[in-house]
Amino acid sequence: MGDGLDIRWFDPARANLLIGVAVFLAFLVVNIVRARGGSHLFIRPLAGLQALDEAIGRATEMGRSVLYLPGLGDMSEVGTLASITIMARVARRTADMGCDLSVPCYDPVVMAILDGAVRQAYIEAGRGDQFRPGSVHYVSAQQFAYVAAVSGMMLRERPAANIFMGSFYAEALFLAETGNQTGAIQIAGCDQVTQLPFFVCACDYVLLGEELYAASAYLGREPIQLATIAAQDWAKALAAALVVASLIASVLGHPELGMLLRTR
Amino acid sequence: MRSGPYVVTFLTGAVLIAIFFIPHYRAQQVQATILEWADVVYAFALILGSISLWTTHQKRIKTRAPGWIFSYVTLGALLFITTAGVVQGIDEGTMVGRLYNMVNAPLASTMFALLAFFIASAAFRAFRARNTEATLLLVTAVVMMIGRVSIGEFLWKGFPPLTEWLLDVPNLAAKRGVAIGVGLGAISTALKIILGIDRSYLGRS
Repeated sequence: MGDGLDIRWFDPARANLLIGVAVFLAFLVVNIVRARGGSHLFIRPLAGLQALDEAIGRATEMGRSVLYLPGLGDMSEVGTLASITIMARVARRTADMGCDLSVPCYDPVVMAILDGAVRQAYIEAGRGDQFRPGSVHYVSAQQFAYVAAVSGMMLRERPAANIFMGSFYAEALFLAETGNQTGAIQIAGCDQVTQLPFFVCACDYVLLGEELYAASAYLGREPIQLATIAAQDWAKALAAALVVASLIASVLGHPELGMLLRTR
Repeated sequence: MRSGPYVVTFLTGAVLIAIFFIPHYRAQQVQATILEWADVVYAFALILGSISLWTTHQKRIKTRAPGWIFSYVTLGALLFITTAGVVQGIDEGTMVGRLYNMVNAPLASTMFALLAFFIASAAFRAFRARNTEATLLLVTAVVMMIGRVSIGEFLWKGFPPLTEWLLDVPNLAAKRGVAIGVGLGAISTALKIILGIDRSYLGRS
């Protein structure tokens, strides 16, 4: 320290995290090489994602719209990034089926990015002329003003399918329960542990936690995307092994391993 | 060609990851500057958002969509608040400050209070004993509800410790399991974006 300012170029308390990131990158590289080499990477079926086509098809048959909510997260949240990827796939399907899509947004930056992604999806589907400017629209950056506006849309416009993907907070139950009352088929994906029970209560299908992040790989089926899921599974297995090992070590009177796993 | 945004994403992501491990004050200053840029981008995006809000409601009024009359309220409020904010500012005691405290805050609190009724209706549906899992959920919920109120201890002294055990052992174990998965998934997704494996945010599949 000099003049009260930190002049260290490395924080040793975060060395374990650096090692963790390096190990994860190594897993990623190995699995990308495996995927490029033609290895079959299995990803278990996710009912929530399989139901997306069914929900959009139902909305098309009923002549009603699909309502897609990207959550209240901003672009710094990983749940929002995952939601954008899923949104692009949903938009592609609605474009293919000629179904109306409505995307009310909470964050203006997310709105601008989603607008581009949806527009591009319609162009890729060869239906650029059917893209409706304004289908991705801004509502409010006030949590409960957003809830009131979206609940009103659900009750007035009665979309046949409500898709909630992203980071949701206290508004999760308001939105899911209102959608449930309208009889819409509801699919949710959320990375906020405390909101998951609400979605489970009120929705037909739910992507739990990390399944939201796996959605892009599942929908895309590109080998490199699947490699990231395999790397994630390897890391999870390693994390589980370390938790069990540190538990046994602590029981045997050696808590050092558990201390090494602590993050700051 | 969209390599520009990809390069910016890669550099920003890589620099921010590096800064996480570098406590040096200059590195922290760089991080603060990048976060300030994010605020500037947000401010400009807010203009886009306002335009979007205006055009959406203008269209609703034109087409006489259901509830179109309320679009006048939204547009009027947007114009009024923007004008008041530009003229007087948004500090305490100004028109915007008073409207925020006297209109917006009570409305938000009212909405939040409605959550209790939504929880009740969702719980009623979730707690129907249709199968083994739902019955288990119902029994756990009943034990939790009884154990968290004073009558629970009066009925049986074991209720409060039982609810504590339910919260601290099976509930926490499940939450931590999901949290570890979410943490690893977040790292994986962030790396996909930074390394350009996933470019949907650029409007690419």
